[in-house]
Parts: sequence; structure tokens; C-alpha cells
Amino acid sequence: MQMKYLAIVVAGAACAAQPAAAQFKTQGVTDTEIVLGTHQDLSGPIKAWGVPAANGLKLAADEINAAGGINGRKIKLIVEDSGYDPKKAVLATQKLIERDGIFAMISPMGSATTLAPLPIVQRAGILHLFPITAAEFTYKMDPGKPEDRLKFNIFVPYYDTMRIGLHWAVKNKGFKAPCIIYQDDEMGKNFTDAYKDEVEALKIKAGTMASFKRGATDFGSQVAKAKADGCDLVALGSVVRESVGIVTTAKKLGWEPGFVASTPTYVPDFPELGKENAAGVYGVGQVEIIDSAAATGKVKAFIDAYKAKFGVEPNNQVIAGYNGLMTFAFYANLAGKNLTTESLLDAMESGKEFVDIFGSPPIKFSKTDHLGVAEALVAQVKDGKWQTVAKNQGYKD
Amino acid sequence: MHQPVKTDYSQDLRLFRTAGQVWSYAALAVFLLAAPILFGNYLLSQVVFVIIYAIVGIALIILSGYTGQVSIGHAAFLAIGAYTAAYCQKQGIPFVVYFVLAGALTGVVGYLVGLPALRLHGVYLAIATFAFAFIVEEILARWESVTNGNEGIMLALPDLFGLKLGDTGFYYLCLAVVTTIMLGAINLLRSPTGRAFVALRDSETAAKSMGVNPARYKTRSFAISAAITGLAGVLYAHKLSFISPEMFTLSLSIEFIMIVIIGGIASLRGAVFGAIFMIMVDPVLATLKDDLPGLVANVVSVLGLNGGGAQEAVARVVNAPGLKSLIFGLIIIFFIIFEPFGLAGRWEKIKLYVRLFPLYKATTFKRQKMYLKSERGR
Repeated sequence: MQMKYLAIVVAGAACAAQPAAAQFKTQGVTDTEIVLGTHQDLSGPIKAWGVPAANGLKLAADEINAAGGINGRKIKLIVEDSGYDPKKAVLATQKLIERDGIFAMISPMGSATTLAPLPIVQRAGILHLFPITAAEFTYKMDPGKPEDRLKFNIFVPYYDTMRIGLHWAVKNKGFKAPCIIYQDDEMGKNFTDAYKDEVEALKIKAGTMASFKRGATDFGSQVAKAKADGCDLVALGSVVRESVGIVTTAKKLGWEPGFVASTPTYVPDFPELGKENAAGVYGVGQVEIIDSAAATGKVKAFIDAYKAKFGVEPNNQVIAGYNGLMTFAFYANLAGKNLTTESLLDAMESGKEFVDIFGSPPIKFSKTDHLGVAEALVAQVKDGKWQTVAKNQGYKD
Repeated sequence: MHQPVKTDYSQDLRLFRTAGQVWSYAALAVFLLAAPILFGNYLLSQVVFVIIYAIVGIALIILSGYTGQVSIGHAAFLAIGAYTAAYCQKQGIPFVVYFVLAGALTGVVGYLVGLPALRLHGVYLAIATFAFAFIVEEILARWESVTNGNEGIMLALPDLFGLKLGDTGFYYLCLAVVTTIMLGAINLLRSPTGRAFVALRDSETAAKSMGVNPARYKTRSFAISAAITGLAGVLYAHKLSFISPEMFTLSLSIEFIMIVIIGGIASLRGAVFGAIFMIMVDPVLATLKDDLPGLVANVVSVLGLNGGGAQEAVARVVNAPGLKSLIFGLIIIFFIIFEPFGLAGRWEKIKLYVRLFPLYKATTFKRQKMYLKSERGR
């Protein structure tokens, strides 16, 4: 009996000692079908993101299939629920790779839920495409790790949007003393890093940096401090509700500086909740907010199709999923009839531009840059709505 | 209950009481050792999570089940273990060293958390451990030079004596750890320390009058429980390969409590049952979601009804996002009301039923005591 254990242990150790060879693998492609997998938060704390993103992916899959598929292959999309729990995301990823044999992971949701299973996807040698998070891990490549070539992203990081906003406002609107009020967490850290770097790049003096806790409702001290220090442009390193709180507090104190916000605030809720206090605030975003009433052409067709399928108006979270799959489809078409992980990688790194139907900045990748986008738009709240004031902005002159 | 006739004092010291136990555990051992050959990575991964949760379950059963102390801060101990591993791996410290270090460090922290336990009972102790968990979460987010703050840290699979572990190797590592801890816990609970824990749980006054020092044993229980959780934390960090403060929240602590409630608070075996349940519910639901609608449709159409409609209806039910929370809630209520000793308790009853058939009577367990009440015997 003991010998048998020993034999198994030795066999196990031998399996265990295999080096993790970085090989790209192609699975999930037949003559008629491409299997794609994703995990979304459908039941956890960020399901307000996960559910519409999953719907966006489904809508895109339906549209692609209705149009005849990709080089004759239909897309089979498998959606798993991670509940924003990294452990479940890991298991869901393994299920997708092993049981469903997916060709690529497409637009998975969240930072922690994407980062924990990422090594599994890479070890399996399949592509990890366009996770809905702007964390650096999802696109930054380590030259020593060939498997890092499998990572791609198409979302402008918080850091970039904040720099773009500050850069644009200082250069075009004549502000001289920017300061920042930020949420004290990972997101806020991106914003403060961007603030420090941009202030240095613009060669102006760094001003007040005031933080608040996630979920805070009182911003009196932070706003008063910024006001006392002579700040004339407040960068909002905050999410919708806190952004509204900050601009409202400033109004109450009789102070009217400029405000510039990043993607978490560039959502329709901000002008709705902020009402007249939100007027004039600048915001930075990647995709223009959908305006159902004013939409025409392809965007209108998209809105109608979404409403018909899911019974509600689409929002920008839907576009995050929709564009993910559409970007995949564009490059998979380029890769041609012989679709493999290698051929898709070559197509993506070819530098060809993908332009979406929403007028976003074009997406393109290269061998050294797997973050598909470097530009964003600047908008301002006018008449209770976000209205675009400048497109395709970057922070590098 | 069934007790073999004792003919020898050494029988009391044996790990396995009956020949049946020896054979069934041997079969389990063979099965677990062969698991990597039998299972794919997906199932193996589930087993690894079960093992990690079982280790935490053992820790919590020692503390709550055997010493009668409540903790809703065990996610914090897990976090301390996990971050010790992440930090040490970055510094190039070998796995064996930081594995032990993580256990020791968490043990010391557990001892300190145990100090308020000397003065607090029941819900107040729960609040104290809850506060502790919050403090740890805050420290993890703030102490950026060590923890990398909210950005989190990535880890690689560990190197064991220069051997780079793959998924299979890591599985065997976890299996070795859980076996050692399980044997250690069994031995602990039949040592004087373990007896003292039980005495404290049943009646602090009585224990004191028998010369058991509550301060010493309560803190010791906290330290041991925390240390074991810390070891689980090391494995957890390596398994997830990425950790950040937002993972170690109250809901994780509550998941751990659910392990012991569902598994059975009064038996170490319960930790394993509870862990299996907690981990496997999701994959089973995922499988159901894929296969059940088609299955039902087939059955319905065999009966000559509208298969497609049934398929859609079933698909809608199994895809409902809140389904899992509902099932969990119902199960917990069910266990607390009908089976306070959890799956382990149910298993004992089934075994007895089979053994005594047809003479089994439900009243055998009528007078079982419940130790979940922390105020008991004060």
C-alpha cells in the first residue's frame, strides 16, 4: 500500500515539476463556430455594470451571427457569473477554458476578478481580451514573458483621463491653480498620480490634495480647504454621488471654481442628480453618452435593437460589452479563414484601426502597445446634459 | 451510539476506532492522491478551494465549536497570512520559511485579538472581532510600502525546495497541509488543552473551579485558530495569484461562519463537509444552468408536451441572478432550525440509522445540546 502511495506521490511530483511553457493554443474554433467566454458580475456589488455589459456582448453576438458570422463562423458566447468574487471568477474561468473550450476570454468584468484568473488564461495559451477595467496589469507587457502577448485592453485608464482633463482645461480654459479632491482608494490613487504628473508636466505649482472616504456625504472641510488655498480648478477624483456632493458644497460656500471630472463622473446620472449645481463641470470620457432622442443612423439602430431585445434603454455599460465583441469580430475577420490564436494576434498587432459606431477614438494595437486607445473626449454639462466640447484629446502635446 | 468494546488502553489513543474507519479513510486517501489523474484542472481547482476553506473551517470549529468563542473577523487572519506570503515572495524568501512565518505572525495577532475575549462575550465579542477585521482591511489599504495598497499584489505559484510547483504540485501541497492540520487538530482536541477548551465552552464557572485558567485557554484558542487561518491564507493567496484588500471583507468572514454552520460546528469533519458545500454550490449551479433546461425539455417532450416552452421557463429560473443567495439563505435557515450539528451531524444520524435498522429512533438525538449559544453556562 505504502509503495503505491509513494509511486503516486512521485508521479505527482513529476507532473508538478513541468515548466510552464508559454505556448499559444487554439481551441474552440470549428468550421461553423467560434466559442467565446466571459465572466460578469450578474449578482454582486457591481451588477449595475455586469448585467448591461453581458447584454451588450449578447447583442453584439446576435448581430454578428445575423450578418453571417465571422468568415462563416457563428459566435457562441458563454456568460458566467462571478458575483465580483475572485474565487468564483477563477473557477468560472477554468470552467470556460476546460469544459466549454473557449477560443478567447472576452470583456470579463472588474479588476480583482480579472487579475486573479488572468494567469490561468495565459497558462492555457489563449487570448485575454478587453477586460472591463483599466488596471495596468491587463495590457502592460513584460518583455521576459512571452505569454503577456495574450493580453489586450481597449479602455482608457483613469490615469490618462484625469491627465487629459487637466491638460485640456489648463491649456484651453486658462486655469492656473488646479487642486484635487479624491476618494481614498485604488481609483483615487490613479487620479492623484495623474494629478501630480500633469501638474509637473504643465510646470505649475501643485495645490491642495484633499481626500475623502468611500461613501462620505460631507465634503465641507475638503472644499473649504481647497477654497482657502486659492484653487481655481478642482479635479474630481470621485464617483457620481460624491462628485455631486462636492459641487453642491462649493455652491453652498459661495465658491465657483472650475471642475474637471473623469470617467466615473462622466455618466448621465451626474447632471441629473447635480441639477443646476452640475452646470459647467467638465468631464472626460471614452465613449460619448448615448442620447436616445438625438441618435441617428447606426447608433439609433443599436438603441432600437437593444430595446427590442432587453426592454430597457441601453447605457454606456452596454457599449463596453458591445464594443468588446465588435472589436474582436473586426480583427477576427482580418485574421481570415484560418483563425488561430497566432493569426488573430498578428491581425491585432498589425496596427489596423477599428472604428466603432459611436464615434469613439479609433482602436489600434502594435507589437509593443496592447492598450488600444490613448485618447478621450472632453464634455461639459450644459442644459442638464453632457455635451461634447472636444474630441480625440490626449495629454501628450 | 455505537462504541467498540475496549480491551486495551492503547485503543483510546488510536486515531481510527474501527476497521471500517481505517478502510474508508484509506480509500479517501487513495482517491485524493489520485485526484490529479482523475480530474481536469477545473475540478482540481475546486478541490484546492475546498481544502483551503476546510482549513479555515477547522480553525473556526476549534474556536467556535470547541471553545465557544465567536469570531466574525476570520477574513482578517486569512488576509494577514495572504499578505505575509505575498510580501515574502516578493522579497525572495523561500516558501517553507514564510509559510511558517505567516502562521506564527497570525498566531501572535490572534493572541492579541483574544485578549478582549477575556472580557467580552457573545455579541460583544462578535463586534470586537468585526472591528478588528475592519482595522486590518484599513491597514492593508494604507500601508502601501508593504501591501501595495488598493492596487493589490500578484503572486506566483510557490517554489518548494527549488522545485517550481505547477497546479498539480500545488494541489499536493494543499493536501499535505490540510492532512497535517487535521491530524494536529484531532490531537489538540484530545490533549489537556483541548479538554480545557471544551470545559470553558460548556461552563466557564465549572471550568474555573476545576483549575482551568480561562485567560490562558481563551487566548490560546484564538492564537491557534488564527495561526491555522493564516496558513490557509498563504495557500489562498497563491491559489488566487492576486490579492487586494477588498477581497478580505465581512462577507468572506460570513462565508467562513457558513462553512461551520452548514458543515457542523461540533465536529472537525464538519469543516470538510461545509467547505465542499460552499465551494461546490457555484459550479453545480453553473452546470445546472447549462444542462438542466435541455434535460427538462427532453423529459417534457417525451411526455408529449411543449418542450421548447418548458426549456425557456427552466432556463429563466436557473439563470435568475439572485438564485444562489436565495438557496443559501434557505439552506442556512433550514440547518439552524432542523440540524444545528450541520452535515456532519446528519451524517452521524444516517450512519446510526443504517446500523440500527429497523430499530432507529429519532429521539436518540432529542437531548443533543447546542453550543452555538455563546452566553451559555456563564
